[in-house]
Amino acid sequence: MRKRLVLFALVVFTLFLSALAVSAASPEGKNVTILTPYMSSVTTNQMAEYLKTNLEASGVKVTIVDTKGDMAQFASRIEDTVSAKVDAMVVISVDPQQFATQLENAFDAGIPVFGVDSGFIDGMMVNATSDNYAMGEQITKYLFEDLMRNEGTVIMLTHRPHPGVVKRCEAFDEILPEYDGITLITEQHVDVPNPIENARKIVENLFLANPEKGSITAIWAAWDEPAIGAAQACQDAGREEIIIIGVDGNSQAVEMIEEGSSLKATVAQNFEGMANIIAEDIINLFNGGTIEPGEKYAPGKLITAEK
Amino acid sequence: MKKQNSFSKIFQSYGTIIAGLCVILVFSALRPDAFFTVRNLINISRQISLQVIIAIGATLIMCVGEFDLSIGAIASLGGVIAAKMAVAGVPLPFCFIAPLVICFVIGWINGWIVTKFSVLSFITTLGMSTILAGFTFWLTGGSTVFQNIPKTFTYLGSKSILSIPYLSIIMLIFTVIFWFVMRHTAFGRKLYAIGGNEIAARVSGINVKKNKKLAFALCGAMSALTGILMASRLGSAHPTGGDSFFLPSYAAVYLGSTVFKEGTPNIWGTFVGAAILGILANGLTILQVPTYMQDIVTGLIIILAVIAQKLGQGDSK
Repeated sequence: MRKRLVLFALVVFTLFLSALAVSAASPEGKNVTILTPYMSSVTTNQMAEYLKTNLEASGVKVTIVDTKGDMAQFASRIEDTVSAKVDAMVVISVDPQQFATQLENAFDAGIPVFGVDSGFIDGMMVNATSDNYAMGEQITKYLFEDLMRNEGTVIMLTHRPHPGVVKRCEAFDEILPEYDGITLITEQHVDVPNPIENARKIVENLFLANPEKGSITAIWAAWDEPAIGAAQACQDAGREEIIIIGVDGNSQAVEMIEEGSSLKATVAQNFEGMANIIAEDIINLFNGGTIEPGEKYAPGKLITAEK
Repeated sequence: MKKQNSFSKIFQSYGTIIAGLCVILVFSALRPDAFFTVRNLINISRQISLQVIIAIGATLIMCVGEFDLSIGAIASLGGVIAAKMAVAGVPLPFCFIAPLVICFVIGWINGWIVTKFSVLSFITTLGMSTILAGFTFWLTGGSTVFQNIPKTFTYLGSKSILSIPYLSIIMLIFTVIFWFVMRHTAFGRKLYAIGGNEIAARVSGINVKKNKKLAFALCGAMSALTGILMASRLGSAHPTGGDSFFLPSYAAVYLGSTVFKEGTPNIWGTFVGAAILGILANGLTILQVPTYMQDIVTGLIIILAVIAQKLGQGDSK
């Protein structure tokens, strides 16, 4: 009898939640699904929220799907979103080439697919992003020339599976050989989620291998979260002579730069700008407008303690 | 009165299946145009296929009373090896077979360490998982392998025959094979005997060490197969791509052990367990339920199913 009650409760609960979800839908409004595997990342979260706020302000019903780093689930959720016959789909921080098969289904079903901080493949409407290579080039040259004065050692904190991060890393890879006085000590992959803590641990361990002050001149972080973790490790170990740079311009990083921590510079990605580009295009599309397919860039900005 | 008892017995024996059917009915009623369609049935079968295949391996391990924490890392490694070989121009059959053999050996090593040194499988496989994660990162440089993968490599993961995805067919074939092995062969019965009472199994003449090693090795091969098929499905191999299969696999096995009245891990139970998890993820996405709510619902259903099973067995306090 108790078992029946439990099962009954289970079914009623599922019914309730599902009914809740359906009743929340606006029958007149369009449905847009935002998909990302990186919602736990502050910046991805910001982009999703900017986009959601903008679209909801125009009466669009928005659903956010996060697969927590799980790429197979991400492919499955694209298929489900196609089955749900949404009016538009937005992918954030993923390389669409890796999900081309699943996205083809969306193209075939006539669902407009947009990207934010992603790549672009034929069939998509628009991907709004930063020019990640240009940002990587800008911050690397600033580090090597203005902060390191063309000499010293550097540690690289990366996460190359991310399509934007890998472009910044490629810029670093190409620029480094041009500076004879600068030596790469090691490149370390930073796991996500929890990149701050992971980067902090990596840097603490690298201090054990490089205990002398001056043995590490700089830490080049491919985005701000590992840069923050590295700066915290430097502070705890009394190694604040180490220069750290990041990319993204997240609020915590900017605050640390202003406070005079080891974190000296970042290039702010215009996440709000990217989200705004896509929100405007989606609303335009729903209003019957036409969109030129391709990539659109929201320009980045160098942030230092001085500017 | 008798009628009430028979209803109660049906619930006790097949409560999880009935709950699963109710969930399907709810989804079908709310979105009949999208959920209860042949296209979505095919969709679900494709989506659960990888989870079922890797969970079959986990079922074997749980049958012998052990635990393998390295299945996710083995899946990642299997996918990466296959993709790397395909990019290097190695003929496709070798791209698929070589990782299976390598991961079979890795699983065998897991089993050998566990049985030879009487180390907890939990610790052994945790260590192996860490080693393999490091090896996979070294192999890929941390990047996803996707450039220059031949189109033919993706056929198994993306093509269909008579509208039925190859992935779904492979899943069914392996489910039937392992159901037969576990149900109708001496090896299967030995695994259950070892899991039931290892000492009694040893006394009755079963070679416990050999059978456990074989269970670990098969689990390794099934994990690798999952990784290879995932790489084929995505057209890319992610160095941590298999990690996410680990917890849902054991959830599927546990949920599956509540499906039939035996209450022990079993192949069809695992299939149903993975299917319920897959249907929930699919249906809730179609209903556009936010992700956090999906996690809450899925977790609650697993806990409620296990509680219901315990109540059914009458061993709750």
